[in-house]
Amino acid sequence: MTRARSDEVYVVGCGMHPFGRDETVTGMAMAERAVREALADAGVGWEDIGYAAGGSDVSGKPDTLVGRLGLTGVPFVNVQNGCATGASTVLAVANALRAGEASLGLAVGFDKHERGAFNVSAARYGLGDWYAESGMMLTTQFFALKTRRYLHEHGISERALAMVAARAFRNGAQHPMAWRRKPLTEQEILDSAEVSPPLTQYMFCSPGQGAAALVLALGDRAFDLCERPVRLASLALRSRRFGSFEVFSPWLPPGPHRSPSVDAAEAVFRRAGLRPADVRVAQLQDTDSGSELIHLAETGLCGHGEQEELLAAGDTDATGRIPVNTDGGCLAGGEPVGASGLRQFHEVVRQLQGRAPGAQVPGAPQVGFTHVYGAPGISACAVLTA
Amino acid sequence: MTTRLMAEGLFEGVDPPRLVGARCSGCHTVVFPRQDSCPRCADGTMSAHVLPVRGLVWSWTLQAFPPKPPYRPPSGGFQPYHVGYVDLGEVLVEARLEVPLREIRIGLPVRLTTMPAYHDEDGTEVLTFAFRQDPEEDR
Ligand SMILES: [Zn+2]
Repeated sequence: MTRARSDEVYVVGCGMHPFGRDETVTGMAMAERAVREALADAGVGWEDIGYAAGGSDVSGKPDTLVGRLGLTGVPFVNVQNGCATGASTVLAVANALRAGEASLGLAVGFDKHERGAFNVSAARYGLGDWYAESGMMLTTQFFALKTRRYLHEHGISERALAMVAARAFRNGAQHPMAWRRKPLTEQEILDSAEVSPPLTQYMFCSPGQGAAALVLALGDRAFDLCERPVRLASLALRSRRFGSFEVFSPWLPPGPHRSPSVDAAEAVFRRAGLRPADVRVAQLQDTDSGSELIHLAETGLCGHGEQEELLAAGDTDATGRIPVNTDGGCLAGGEPVGASGLRQFHEVVRQLQGRAPGAQVPGAPQVGFTHVYGAPGISACAVLTA
Repeated sequence: MTTRLMAEGLFEGVDPPRLVGARCSGCHTVVFPRQDSCPRCADGTMSAHVLPVRGLVWSWTLQAFPPKPPYRPPSGGFQPYHVGYVDLGEVLVEARLEVPLREIRIGLPVRLTTMPAYHDEDGTEVLTFAFRQDPEEDR
C-alpha cells in the first residue's frame, strides 16, 4: 500500500528506562523518565504533544502521567491489552495522527511486576476451580507443551532452545538497558534448574520492570524534527481464531493449530508491500526459548524446521542474515507487560537509525520488524523502514 | 474412606467414570468440559458427549516445582508430576499423566483413569481424571 508522505507516520524520538528490578523506583516514575527522554530525543516539549496513549498492566492509570508531565489538556487514551499493549498504544496514536487529530503524538508503556510467575485465577479465564486445583493452570506448562510438540513435529533438537537463550544473553550483555547482562553457555542453560522440560530456568523470561516511550509525527513534520525519522510502514493487531493453541486450554481441536501471529504477520507484510526476506532486524516475542523458535517460522522469517540450522550458523546474531532480538529480548530484559512491546520499537528504531545502544546490526539495515504474542491469543506485528 | 470426584460436571457414571464434553450438531466440534455454545459456528446446538477412554499422548511435560495456590497438593505433599494433552481423535484433552519418565513419549497409547488429587478437610479423598499407559495397547 502506498500512501502520500503527508499521510505517513514516523517515529521521531524514543526513550527507555532500563529494564530489570529496582525497588527504589515506581512504574510511573520510570514512565516519566522514558517520556522525557523520548521528548528530548525528538527535540520537542510535552506541550507540543497533541495526542497521547499509554499502557500498563499493573502499575497504575497511564493518563495520570499528565500530573507529572504537565496539565496541557492533551487527549490521553489508556490501553490495557496484555502483551499487545505497546503496539496498541502506537496504533492508537498513529491512527489519531492520520485522522487529523494532531501532527505530533506520544506512546508510552510501563510496568513493575512482583517476583515469580504471574498469579492466575481460574474464574478469570472462565474455567472451573478444578483446573487450577489439579495443577494444570501454569503458563510454564503451556509453553513447555507447545514447545515439545513443535520440536517433535519439525525435528528440532532441545539444544536449539539453549542456542536461543545463549544468543539472548550474549546480546543482553552488550545492551546498557537489559536486565540479564551475563553471557551463559548453551550447557549452562541446559543444566539450569528444571522448570517444565524441555524448558529450563534460563529458557524462561521473568516478570520485571521497565518503561519505553516513542514520539510519533505525521508527514513533513517528521522531517522538520528528525534527521532520520523511521517510517511506521504498517502495524496489525489480531486476536485468535478457532483452533489456535493458547494458554489455559483444557481441550484443543485436533488441528491444524493456526496462531494469531500468522495472521498479524501476513497482514503487516502485505500492507507494507514487503516480504519477510526483506527484514534485516527483527524483534520476536521470546517469553521462553520455544516461543521464539515457533515465532521465527510463524512470522515467515524462516520455514518451519529451519530454525536450528539458522541458529547454529549464527544467522540470527546481530552480524547474521536475520538478526533477532538484538537487545536480548524478553529473555535478557524481562517482561514488564506494558513496556515490552515499546522496548521492541525502541530497539528497532535505534537499529534503523544506526545508533543501537547495544549490538548494532552492520550495513545500515533498512527494514525492521516487531512481533508480540500472548494470552488470551493475541498478536501484534509492525514493519518499520529507515 | 469416602471418595468423591473433583468436579461432577466433568464426568459421567462412577464405575468407572468417563469424561463428558459436548458436541456441536452443526460443525461436530467436540469440547471439554461442556459448554452451551459452539466456539466454532453460530448455528449448532451443543449436547452432552461422552469422550473416548483411549488415546495417544500428543505432548507432555513435567511440573517440576510446587504450583502456587489454588493448586491443592496431595496429603503426602507435592511430588513432581507429568501433564500433557491426549489425542482422543475428535478432541485433545489436557490431563495429568500417570506415566513414569522412562515410558513417557509422544504417541504413547494411554487410557483414562482416576487418581487422588487431594483430601478434603473431613478426610474425603478427592479424585481427578488422568491417563495411564494402556496395558491392552502395549506390546
Ligand atoms: Zn459448531
